[in-house]
Amino acid sequence: MALVDSTQQLLEAAMRGSWQRETALTNNIANADTPGYEREEVNFESALQGAMNSGQSAEGIQFQTEVQPEEVGPNGTAVSVDQESTKLAENGLDYQALTQVAGARNSIVTTAIGPA
Amino acid sequence: MGIFEAIGIAGSGLTAERVRMDVTAENLANAETTRTANGQPYQRQEVVLTQTGEGGFSGALSGALQQNRPGSPPPGGVEVAGIVSDGTPDQEVYDPGNPEANAQGYVKMPNISTVTENTDLISESQSYQSDVTAMQTAKSMFTTTLGLLK
Repeated sequence: MALVDSTQQLLEAAMRGSWQRETALTNNIANADTPGYEREEVNFESALQGAMNSGQSAEGIQFQTEVQPEEVGPNGTAVSVDQESTKLAENGLDYQALTQVAGARNSIVTTAIGPA
Repeated sequence: MGIFEAIGIAGSGLTAERVRMDVTAENLANAETTRTANGQPYQRQEVVLTQTGEGGFSGALSGALQQNRPGSPPPGGVEVAGIVSDGTPDQEVYDPGNPEANAQGYVKMPNISTVTENTDLISESQSYQSDVTAMQTAKSMFTTTLGLLK
């Protein structure tokens, strides 16, 4: 087993995807009052799933920030601040879970290497 | 994709909402102003928001940079495109005792409804809070990343 195995690469890629989603969601909230703005989303899970199914390495995988045209509300935008905030909280917890797992796996390697 | 991009975007939202609050406060303060520099009643001001990086030099520059980095998100954020006058006509109020009254006793008052301004103020402060929450989430995410180094 390599020091950085495919699971660790997958975790790292998911963390990057989660960061990108965080940026997109923050952009949605910042533009909640911008007329004509269309919300952005990063569906990194499906991109990772696709890479896993096709046996492709998760390392260096790029995620797309997609524009999602939705029904425009009375304030002229398609952004619901409540929904964006919920997604933001969810994404933050996802990220925390990912970093914790990545950290735990790192500490296993650190233990294996032994005290420097 | 920069690590601090989300914080910058939330910051741009904070700036934009603060400008909107300033303009609403100005509208409320001038709700009874019947004479401005041009001799006309105060005109309600409104803030026009636009997504950052859509046009202009910065948009063209980042567009050119994007070509070399496919897959990375466009630069984000919000900015104030301008502060424009609300073109709705002035209200005419019957107040013959007012020195600004015309021959029929009507005074031209600004086109401002304090109810509208107050509801705007609520929405602005809520958007501001949402931006603060987004910034805090980005900060805590960054802190968890730093925790990996321990």
